Formats: sequence, structure tokens, C-alpha cells
Amino acid sequence: MSAAETPPQAVVLELRGIVKRFGATRALDGASLRVRRGSVHGLVGENGAGKSTLIKVLAGIHRPDAGSLLVDGRAHAHFDPRQVERLGIRFIHQERLLPAGFTVDEALFFGQERRLGPWLDRRAQRREAERLLEHWFGLRLPAGALVGELSSAEQQVLQIVRALIVKPRVLVFDEPSVALVRSEVERLLCIVRRLRDEGLAIVYISHYLQEIEALCDRVTVLRNGRDVAEVDPRATSPERIARLMVNREVGELYPKSAPAPGAPLLEVRGLGRGRAYRDIDLRVRRGEVVGLTGLVGSGAKELLKSLFGLAPPDTGEVRLDGRPLALRTPRQAVAEGIALLPEERRRQGVALDLSVQENVTLAALPRFSRFGLLSRRAERRETLGLIERLRIKSAGPQATVRQLSGGNQQKVALAKWFARRSSLYLLDEPSVGIDIGAKAEIYRLIGELAREGAGVLILSSDLPELLGLCERIHVMHRGRIAARFEAGEADSDKLLAVATGAVAQQETSVHESIPG
Amino acid sequence: MSDSYLDPRPARLSWPSRRAALRLALPALFVAILAFFALAAPGFLSLGNLSSLLLNNFVLLAMVAIGMTCAIAAGGIDLSVGTALDFSALAFVALLNAGSGLPLALGGALLAGTLVGAGNAGLIAGLRISPFLASLGSLFIGTSAQQLLSDGGQPNYLAPEARPDLAGARFFGVPLPLLAVAALAAVYGLALARGRFGRQVLALGNQPLVARYSGLAERRIAAWVFVAGAFACALAGILLAATVNAYVPMSGNAFLMNAIGAVFIGATLNRHGRANIPGTLLGVLFLNVTANGLLLIGWSFYWQQVATGALILLVLVFSFVGRRPGD
Ligand SMILES: Nc1ncnc2c1ncn2[C@@H]1O[C@H](COP(=O)(O)OP(=O)(O)OP(=O)(O)O)[C@@H](O)[C@H]1O
Ligand SMILES: [Mg+2]
Repeated sequence: MSAAETPPQAVVLELRGIVKRFGATRALDGASLRVRRGSVHGLVGENGAGKSTLIKVLAGIHRPDAGSLLVDGRAHAHFDPRQVERLGIRFIHQERLLPAGFTVDEALFFGQERRLGPWLDRRAQRREAERLLEHWFGLRLPAGALVGELSSAEQQVLQIVRALIVKPRVLVFDEPSVALVRSEVERLLCIVRRLRDEGLAIVYISHYLQEIEALCDRVTVLRNGRDVAEVDPRATSPERIARLMVNREVGELYPKSAPAPGAPLLEVRGLGRGRAYRDIDLRVRRGEVVGLTGLVGSGAKELLKSLFGLAPPDTGEVRLDGRPLALRTPRQAVAEGIALLPEERRRQGVALDLSVQENVTLAALPRFSRFGLLSRRAERRETLGLIERLRIKSAGPQATVRQLSGGNQQKVALAKWFARRSSLYLLDEPSVGIDIGAKAEIYRLIGELAREGAGVLILSSDLPELLGLCERIHVMHRGRIAARFEAGEADSDKLLAVATGAVAQQETSVHESIPG
Repeated sequence: MSDSYLDPRPARLSWPSRRAALRLALPALFVAILAFFALAAPGFLSLGNLSSLLLNNFVLLAMVAIGMTCAIAAGGIDLSVGTALDFSALAFVALLNAGSGLPLALGGALLAGTLVGAGNAGLIAGLRISPFLASLGSLFIGTSAQQLLSDGGQPNYLAPEARPDLAGARFFGVPLPLLAVAALAAVYGLALARGRFGRQVLALGNQPLVARYSGLAERRIAAWVFVAGAFACALAGILLAATVNAYVPMSGNAFLMNAIGAVFIGATLNRHGRANIPGTLLGVLFLNVTANGLLLIGWSFYWQQVATGALILLVLVFSFVGRRPGD
């Protein structure tokens, strides 16, 4: 069913010429958006294009400097959050905003509590919470669990379900799939389609153009705070959408690098940790980019953490440059030249209230200091270089990271390790939330690191990314490495079949043929 | 720094400009207070009053507040600054009375005060106790120990022949205490604002997890922060003992609240709301001037305390208003 066949439906929501400035930054510069009933409207654009700011204006979090907001044809100059809620507009924001100290049911029902007369009906609320999570996502969570203890995927599910408790008329998703794993993304897409068919108007922000193509009836492209095009994603190639976003040719996404693997860098033998993972054999040589993938619970995330001195293994052996390593803290790992891009960037990767510069140099302070004093000039030079290379959109090296857009915060977390010049890079979902132009640049940098003699281990659920970058891909399933593929042997279907367990333990002949 | 939708206040004045307004408001308030006392309090502007303000009140509180700045910058708080001060004063007086020379007394006093910080450091870095609780423990133990050692709080006077003239000494015409504060402020200020150590403290104070994931020695940094803080307080202890020529048990605790207040006033003056040494010194001056002015216009000590409390509250309200919405 394409948009052309359906009769045009009523415009529920319209944003007209919205302008929003933050100091000298023009986050929005006359952005417009029209969303119809019973449709999914995509919103795409580079990191820092203003997507989140636009929906925060709609949510009443930011007050626009100019422009108007029309709901059912009635114009408003600005909103406040309660009013928006009354109008039936609900949001799933990019930042996971649930208070860590809340229980699951408190987080779901905050502001919309189940009541029994004047009292909170805690029992009903708990029962309802568990039922709703199961109903929408098939997620079994005890209602008494604390939000802070949940995985980022579970927190994201919570945010989505929270927005669905009182059926909204307009639903806005800001990069909802970023924290989710593949199976949940499928589920999310189904839910979105179902809600659309029930007549909701849906705004969907994503950097995954496949998702946009699969889901959206229309897509608005935002560039530098302005809407530059509205197209039908089914009739427009992803390349063209990408070009509209970045206003130049993106070119080849994956670098065509001739691998020249050198000496073994990381050797893992028979590594195991409790029930998380076991019998892990893995090798990364200098100059190599190696891939790792697996569903939630496959143990891949734990493995990566162990290699960085978090969650030490209890059996097996790790060698770096031939020397045995027994890492117990991240500090030791960093001292050994190991870098980890952690999963939860906003908590573990960047210090939100420090400047871009202070973040970028944080892991490499000795490089920028003499006699214990920092050279701000040297820091600034390095930061400016990385801002340029990674296309970090900010007011400059002194900008506070909290003020950066979500994708640009991710880039800062990555830049910190590029400034450190490590020898082994452990990258957990390196391109999540990053726009397509910057993605290409990050891939190029990863290739460059490898060429300069570093080893890179990428954990990713973005299979095309692994296929495009890695010389070898390890697929984990239930704590074991279920299969290894050399570049060129694998495709997404094969990887997925092993990861989901559809193909049983497939320690193929490839295992023996690993060189080195 | 709670990312929470619990407080979805709509934005009015965007926050950078609000903070800028606030940063002007505080100095304006300071100037207003100065002007008020200059007119209302007889003798406020006299050289005698100003120099006694600087030498007696400013110097001691400044040293303690510098120590407190370290702890607060690292995301903690040090409730045992007074204990460090007292132990240092105690050691100083005891050593001098026992006939040791001045160098030994100075070294012993600095060591005694710094040991309190080392104790905190051990609890915080070794046992992972929160700075608040660790230093609260030190405060309790320190207070009780002093009561036991001094028969319930009897002062220990310096024998007249053992009195070193530290408080009155001058170098090139500059009083020694002032030089000491200046040196302390310069070293600590430089380390915090420009040093590698200061950057690590900043990261630890803002997001400990990020410090950890960046390979910083979080626990070692925390330990040094408390040792360095206690050292500053030990210096204050020596000066206090040399000024009153006695060790008066538990007199350090009087500085605790003012030191915390001064650090927060200073942080409010900073563009990023960070604890910093120059701001702290201004905060100390702010509190000293107010107390002194009120004294001159005849307010009792207790009303001075009330006014100081109100002033700190006012500044905190300022800083709350200056916070970014949704922060
Ligand atoms: N509170 C703020 N203070 C200052 N600048 C801000 C603030 N919020 C956003 N900005 C700036 O506004 C611009 C747009 O940010 P926005 O978050 O809307 O981008 P985005 O399109 O959502 O990007 P991403 O894909 O990375 O999430 C960015 O340059 C950002 O630095
Ligand atoms: Mg965004």
C-alpha cells in the first residue's frame, strides 16, 4: 500500500517555519513538517540537523523563537508539556529519560497512575505493567525491578510502552531502534504499522534508511535546521535521500582497504566467565578489523567488557602482543593500549558537563601535559582536528557535550579514543545513531587505524557494517562462538541464522584455516 | 544532573543567558553590600579594620575553604576539615611546648593534620565509603578524641617562651599569613584549573563512570584530593594556633559551614558552575565582609550567623534559578 493509493488524509499536525536559537547556534532555521492521520512520517538529517530540537519544540521542552504549531488546524505559538499531553501527543525521546531509581511500574505509570479512589493502586499497576510489557514486546520483567538495573534495550522498551498506555493520537519516535536489538526492532516496526492502521499519526526519526524505507509513507529531510525536501521513500533511492541529507555525494560507505595483517596482537584462548560466555577462542592481528556479533544474551557484550578489564574472566587466557594479560581494571587495560567504546555512551563514554575538548583528551592527558600542567594549545589543536575529521557539529572545542546532538555526543566518545592512539580498539556498536556521512568517515578512520598497525574488534548488530568492514566475523550464540566467517564467505542471512541458533554450532573448517 | 522527565518545565530565558545574568548579579550584590557597610558601619573602611579582616578572618577561612574546594570539585564533600585543622593545631602546640624547634613543630603539625585526610582517603579509596560518610566518621572520631585528650575541651596554651611570631611576621612588608594563603591558592588553583590532576578531578567529580572507563585511577585521585585538602587545613591549624597562642579544642568545626558556603558561592560564579579556587576566595571575602560589617553595626554573633546563613541560601537560590531547565 503506497501513499499514492491511499486518499490524502487530514493533516493532524503541522509545524510551520520553526526557528530555535541556542546562543549563537541556530538549531532550527525555519523548519516545517506536516503529518497526516494514519501515516508514518519519517524525519531524517545529519547529526545536529535539528531533528530532536524540532520535536522538543513540539513537546514543549524548548520554546521556539519563531514559527507556529498547528494541531487539528488550530495554531499555537508554543506548547507546555502538560498541554501537549492533553492533545494526545506522546514522545519517545532520544535520550533515555527514565529515573534510575524508579521501579518498572512507577516508570511506566508516572503521571498516569492507576488509582483506587484517592490512593495509588500499586497492585493493579504492577500487574498491568507486566501485562503491557509482555503484550507489546513479549518482554517478561518483574514490575519491581529498578530502571537503573535494566539494559538499555529494556529501558527503551519501557519508554515506548509508557507512551502507549493512554492511546495517543500522535506518536513521535526519536531514534527508537538505536538501543534495540534486531528482534525487538522487528517488533517495533510491527507495532508502528499497527498503530498507523489504527489511525495514529506517527513521526519517526532514524538514521537507518532501510527502516525509513520499510516504514514511512513520507519522509522530510532536514538540513541545517531547515526542511529541504519531502519525498516518498519508496519512490526515492536511499542514495538520493542520503545526498539530500548531507548535500554532497556520500561515496563508498566502506573503505576499500587492502588488509596487511601483521603480528598477532590479541589472542584469546578458552576464555570463560560464569554463565556469560565460555570456550572463547579469538585472534586479532595488527592491521586487522575483526567482527563480533550476537543477540542479547549471547555473551558478546560481556566478552568485550572482560577484554577491557571490567568483569574479569574466570577461565582461559588472554595474550596481548604475546604477553599474558590478567586485566582487573579498565586502567590497566588503557595502560596496555586497549580502548573501549562503551555501550552506554551518555553514561560511560562522555562526561556530559565537560567540554568537547576536555572529553576528547581525557584518556590521553599525559600526551597533552608537561610537568603536570596541561597545554591547552595542544589540546585544542588535537580537538579541532578530530572535530573536523569526524564532522562533530558543535559550537567549538569549548562547547559542553550535553549541548551536542545525540549523534555528535557519540562521535565525541569515539574521538576520545582516536586521540589516545591505542593499539587495540574494542568498539561496541561504533556507528549507532550516527548519520550516513559521518559513518563513512568513521569507517575510513577505522580502516586507517588498522593500516597504522592497530587491531580493531567491532561488536555490532549492524550486519552490513560487519560485512563491509571486517576480515573475519565471529558469531556468538548462548555464550559460545558458534561460527566464524572469513570476509567474502558470509552474508547477512548466514550470520543471522547462526546468531539466532537456527543453524546449530557451526564450527566450520574455517576455524582451522585462520592464518597466523 | 538527573536526566528526568519529572521536571519538564518549559524554557523561558535560555539558560546560558540566565547564567550570565546570575554571574553579574552576585558581584553586584557584593558591591552593594560593600557600599552599604561603607556608609552604615563606622570604621568599616578604616585601614585597621580592613587589615584585621584580611589577616584574622580571611586567611584562616580561605585556607580551609581551599581544602574544601578540592573535595567538592571531586564530587564529594569533606566534613572533617575542622578536625584536620584541630589536629594540626594540637600537634603544633604540643611539640613547641615540649621544646622541639619550630621546624619540627611545623612538620609535625602538617603531618598530623594531613593524616586526617589520609584516613579519609583510606576509607574512600580503600573501602569505597562515600566521602560524606567517611569524613563524617572522621569528624565524630576527631571530636571525641579531642574531648578525651583535653579533659572535655580545655585549651592548651603555648608557653610564653615557646611562642613563635608567625602571625605577625612579614616578608618584604607582606604579612606571612597572607603570603601563605597566596602560595596555597596559587598552587592549588593552578593544579585544579590547569593541571593534569585538576582535569582528572573534574572528570571524577562530574561523571565517575566516565573517568573509570577512560582509564583514570579514580580511587587514587580521590585519595589525593582528600590528602591535599587536609594539608591546606593543617596549614590553617598552625596559623590559628600561632595567632591565639593556644590550641583550643574543636575550634576547627566553626569553619566547616562557612567553607562549604564559600565554595558554593564560588562555584556559582563560574561559567560552568564548577568549584574553583578564585571563586572560593571571593566567596570567603564575601562572607567575611558581611560578618565584619554586621559586627560593626552592632549585630550580635548569633545574628551574624543568621545573616550568613541567609546569604548562602540566597546564593543557592540564585544558582538554582540559574540552572538550565530540565537539568
Ligand atoms: N540545549 C542546547 N544548547 C545549545 N545547543 C543545542 C542544545 N540542544 C541542541 N543544540 C544544538 O542544536 C543543533 C541541533 O541539535 P539536535 O539535537 O536537534 O540534532 P539532531 O538532528 O537530533 O541530531 P542527531 O541525529 O545527532 O540526534 C546541534 O548543533 C546542537 O549542538
Ligand atoms: Mg537527535
